[in-house]
Amino acid sequence: MRSRTARTTEPSRRRRLGGRRGEALAFYGFVSPWLLGTALLTVFPVGYAVYLSFTAWDGVAPFKPWVGLDNYREVLTSADTMSSLSKTLLLVAIVVPTTIVGSLVLAVLLNERVRGRTVFRTLIYIPAIVPPVAASLIWKVAFDQNSGAVNRFLRMLGGTAVSWLTGSHAFVVLVVVLLWGIGAGIIINLAALQTVPAEQLEAVKLDGGGAFTAFRHVTLPVISPVLLFQTVLVTITTLQTFVPVLLLSPMSDSGISNVYTNIPNANRVYMVDVYSQFFAYGRYGYGSAMLTVFFLVIVAMTVMIFKLAGRTVFYAVDPNAAAKEG
Amino acid sequence: MALKESQPIAVTPSTPAHTRAAVPKAAGRRRSRKRLLVFTILLVVSVLMLLPFVELLIGSLRPSSETSSDTWLPSTLDWRNYADAVKVIPFWRYGRNSLILATVNALLTTISSALVGYGFARLRAPGKNLLFGLLISTMMVPQIVTLIPTYLLFANLGLVGTYWPWVLWGSAGAPYAIFLYRQFFSSFPKELEEAAVIDGAGRIRIFVQIFLPLSRPLLVTAFVLAFNVVWGDFIAPNLLLDQSNTTLAVGVGTGYVMGQGFPLPNLIAGGAVLYLIPVILLFLAAQRSYVRGFANSGLK
Repeated sequence: MRSRTARTTEPSRRRRLGGRRGEALAFYGFVSPWLLGTALLTVFPVGYAVYLSFTAWDGVAPFKPWVGLDNYREVLTSADTMSSLSKTLLLVAIVVPTTIVGSLVLAVLLNERVRGRTVFRTLIYIPAIVPPVAASLIWKVAFDQNSGAVNRFLRMLGGTAVSWLTGSHAFVVLVVVLLWGIGAGIIINLAALQTVPAEQLEAVKLDGGGAFTAFRHVTLPVISPVLLFQTVLVTITTLQTFVPVLLLSPMSDSGISNVYTNIPNANRVYMVDVYSQFFAYGRYGYGSAMLTVFFLVIVAMTVMIFKLAGRTVFYAVDPNAAAKEG
Repeated sequence: MALKESQPIAVTPSTPAHTRAAVPKAAGRRRSRKRLLVFTILLVVSVLMLLPFVELLIGSLRPSSETSSDTWLPSTLDWRNYADAVKVIPFWRYGRNSLILATVNALLTTISSALVGYGFARLRAPGKNLLFGLLISTMMVPQIVTLIPTYLLFANLGLVGTYWPWVLWGSAGAPYAIFLYRQFFSSFPKELEEAAVIDGAGRIRIFVQIFLPLSRPLLVTAFVLAFNVVWGDFIAPNLLLDQSNTTLAVGVGTGYVMGQGFPLPNLIAGGAVLYLIPVILLFLAAQRSYVRGFANSGLK
């Protein structure tokens, strides 16, 4: 009965929608906005940056003198660039593990059946929707040397005021700003925890296993793909940290244009270096080489994280199955 | 029927089977002690997360003469900070600019991403897997890598200082939104389309009349995400727009400084509160769909 219906509808479906070729045409029609947009706004710009990285263009001159690999040689040997890169990697080393572990622990706690759980979920998540501009300003005001709440607290305890936004302390403030938005990961982890089969948790319990055993052997494997996805994402966003650094630093009255000089040395991360090369020193070729290297580092890190996780991450469902069936 | 079954679960969990089971008294006491501990931890974390907001609100009402005093609460509530915050910079003009840019971009992103997501989820074509790989890899391309070269491109096209870049970005769709739509649309049963095909519906009609109405939570999620991205974005308007037509993010982020570059903390606080209100309101209004949209996407 069923199969007959299927057999009779199949050809008519083919005819009406133009068959296989019609379907392919329809596919390209549907994806064309993205395809054209990506070609123009992602692929072309990346290619253009790669081209510029082989030149010594100053951003103004009508010609772009070809310098071959000179810029790359400089990126890899320049002390400034190495220092900004190492600060960025330090930031990643602090922020990424803290965010991943912290958001997992909080998600597990928020998944417990405690009073006021929904309220806690909202409260802890709200900082994550605060745009970076506002987050930076909030903490800039809180860490202000004279009027900030942090120093008021220190003075109350009998300590002395710290100049948080200058010198090496600025790095601490930057880490605080980035960690405040930990809720973004919590919401994804919470959704993932709902997919953990209750029967299997039950089974562990029947075998005499504790909550930790259940977490280690059931929960963690099931949500591991989500954790991996987050690790990649948080690493990439942390690597491109720029706006908080800019807005935490002292402004000049001419606005943002020459703010690069005011950024404390401790916070001169890679992207600050890149923007300074372009817009403070007019070194478009060198800046492009820095961007290209950054891009390659990101690709390498993503591949590395997937490779490392390949051995431990557990996919309950073949992730490619959905793509094939479409 | 089939549709109902395949609809993914909402994020609010039902009682897991194991907690409903009858427990001996000692275990029950242990459980309630554990709940108290969890409750306390969550309370402490929530307070820590919210303190900056409280301090921001208090700061926005502190008289400028008391900004450096050691008292936690101001002697009087000074609403002038808000009045000054909207005067020192052209606050409402910047706000309107942000609203226009964010709305236009979010509408375009939402619709365009839904179209593309539908294509990836429901249609077969040669080269599709390759393109899907491209989509996933563009998710990994940081905005910052493409922004400066894109800025050079827009400069060549004479689009710097206009809102066209946001129209173009919106029309192209956003990879994360496309991904969410694709995951969501993939979960629908084939019969859904087949019935419509028997009725003689074309692809566009199937998409508009069947898939779009079913994806309302995701439409809201995509819109809110895209709106927040533009409302919160600092770098693109800072690079592409100028003093006359820039957005509130740039205005609030850079506007409240004195002659020598000293920050005006009470004005920053006032401006930041006003700048944040739409974001918080939009989140609270869309929270349900927002959370559901994420849960539905099956991000794994």
